[in-house]
Amino acid sequence: MLRTIGFASLMSVITLSPFAATSASAEALKVVASFSIIGDFAQNVGGDRIELTTLVGPDGDAHVYEPSPADAVKMSKADVVLVNGLQFEGFLQRLVEASATKAAVVELTKGVEPIKMKEEHEHAAGGDHHHHGDLDPHAFQSIANAKIYVKNIADAFCTADAAGCDSYKANASAYTAKLDATEAEVKAAVASIPREKRTIITSHDAFGYLEAAYGVTVLAPEGISTEAEASAADVAALISQVRGDKASAIFVENITNPRLIEQISAETGVKVGGTLYSDALSKADGPAATYIDMMKANIATIKGAILGS
Amino acid sequence: MKNLCVSASGLALLLGLATVPSFAEERTAWRLFVSDHAAAVVHAIDMESGQMLETFNVKVPTSLYRSDSGRTVFAVQGKGDVISVLSSGISFGDHGDHGDIHVEAPKLLDVTFEGKKPSHFVDHGGDIALFFDGEGKARMTREADILEGKPAIREVATSAPHHGVAVAMGEFALTTVPNFEKPDELPVGIRVTDRSGATVGDVHSCPDLHGEAASGNLLAIACAKGVLVIKQEGGKPSIEMLPYDQALPEGKSTTLVGGRGLQYFLGNYGPNAVLLIDPRSEEAFRLIDLPTRRVHFTVDPVRAKFAYVFTEDGQLHRIDVVAGKIDASLKLTDPYSMDGHWSDPRPRIAVAGSRIVVSDPLKGALHVVDAESFKQGTDIALEGKPFNLVAVGGSGETH
Repeated sequence: MLRTIGFASLMSVITLSPFAATSASAEALKVVASFSIIGDFAQNVGGDRIELTTLVGPDGDAHVYEPSPADAVKMSKADVVLVNGLQFEGFLQRLVEASATKAAVVELTKGVEPIKMKEEHEHAAGGDHHHHGDLDPHAFQSIANAKIYVKNIADAFCTADAAGCDSYKANASAYTAKLDATEAEVKAAVASIPREKRTIITSHDAFGYLEAAYGVTVLAPEGISTEAEASAADVAALISQVRGDKASAIFVENITNPRLIEQISAETGVKVGGTLYSDALSKADGPAATYIDMMKANIATIKGAILGS
Repeated sequence: MKNLCVSASGLALLLGLATVPSFAEERTAWRLFVSDHAAAVVHAIDMESGQMLETFNVKVPTSLYRSDSGRTVFAVQGKGDVISVLSSGISFGDHGDHGDIHVEAPKLLDVTFEGKKPSHFVDHGGDIALFFDGEGKARMTREADILEGKPAIREVATSAPHHGVAVAMGEFALTTVPNFEKPDELPVGIRVTDRSGATVGDVHSCPDLHGEAASGNLLAIACAKGVLVIKQEGGKPSIEMLPYDQALPEGKSTTLVGGRGLQYFLGNYGPNAVLLIDPRSEEAFRLIDLPTRRVHFTVDPVRAKFAYVFTEDGQLHRIDVVAGKIDASLKLTDPYSMDGHWSDPRPRIAVAGSRIVVSDPLKGALHVVDAESFKQGTDIALEGKPFNLVAVGGSGETH
């Protein structure tokens, strides 16, 4: 709770603070991105005008990431810090405090219409695991939202480095066109899946925006954060749904322990359909090394598992 | 200097509790548990009022350790062949977007762990491992079961009595491997065993093993030539040696504490320095020289950027672990020489919310320092030789 309240107050300070970065006409703009997806966005917008540091790297889980003193040093030297917001980065407040950074900390979900986490987890978990209307922070799982992230990044870079603004805007525009094309591919892939087959199961509630945007229903035994353990009742309910043929496929995620999903697979006989990339990109040699590749890989995996089942 | 009055303050606290309103309000509670160097007692002090809540009798003078949750305090009595457990009386309920604090009177639980020469206490996510040097055995249990008064104990034996340590890690146990040639010397490695007691993988070499700490999802164990860094991958322990940087002077860590909020370890390294260990950084080791010999050190669990070191010249130093240097120093006590026996009465440090507390056993006092301003506040007088300290507490809502 303390973390949550502190984070909220931190964010209000951030929103009100003017950007403190200096113009980087001679030196590259020092940018810290909180996790790999934002890092990819930042590189696409910043190009060679920025020097990028990404804190939570490929296959890393920002929900439970433990920042190090070296991370605080990087943040203290940054001109711009890019974060998701909506309490996605549990480590952010303490890292900002420890680093005493003067940089603008830019919340990229600003302008996104947030959705609430799924109701079933507010009630099914019971005991001490209930939540009170938490917002789902995984807004980047909708490509329309990704375009908002990109615009926010371009605006932040323009404020911090006015000399590079034309370049940032041109890069953002070119990248947004690629996002549009990717979104069209995703929608076409979903359209090719029979409507009654569009329910799947993953490890944690990371795909609410994908569901809202593209019409694939995604159920999960764990809540919004990977920190919250699934209750036996949650798992039993999902097993019941799979047995009732209400879910067409189940998937592991790159950032979570596959044990729970494997348990559900073993008990229901439904084969694991592959790995979905939820909160992090894959390593460079993986199938989701960029955000666009991630979205394409996820929908291809979902479609392949459902239609192949 | 405040003088403590046990019965009146304990009653005041109980009366205060009885009048807690039913609607939600913010409450902060911190308690300090203090052992005595010569007397077999543990004091519980309410840090918000500075008042003594209770004094508990144990068998012999004791070392104190707190669990990660802060719900229990373990009194490890090496010379009494027993470990006693106290309920701190402070617990938290996680409600996702807020946390509740529950405060009740501290008490000595009707749970003890008996065995020859208990030494190291390790809590890993609520799994408690207690090592008994005189038997070369660890007893493992869960904090939740202890609080219910009926701990199920799993015993994990090593091959011989030795000064060792054990860690309960999910389905696995990590235990030290004794030095067969010279059993009186420090262990030589770490063995991983499963629930059946079968060894998993090879023994991980760690000559002169002494010092263990956790920071976030990492565990570190200090060895002669480096630090074993342990994490869980796919539910199993994954262990790697992080060798000391060649640029470091000759030395080793034998005591580690783990950062809270930032992931790092702080170790001793020679008598006049502490070593910052940042396992994921390219610069994994940073040595911080001290003006005189080190007496005790700990990390600040609230202000993640800071750690504290007490030196024999009577100064408390604040370490900025991001900058890797002493940030401020404050003279608190008369000199405490590190000459003499290692276990002579010397100051210890604990952080209780917004206060840093330093015991001054030869003056019978606890020095309280404001953690934000780093200025000395009002001392707390305590009879005897106040020695080991642990603090538990925090803030939350009450309903």
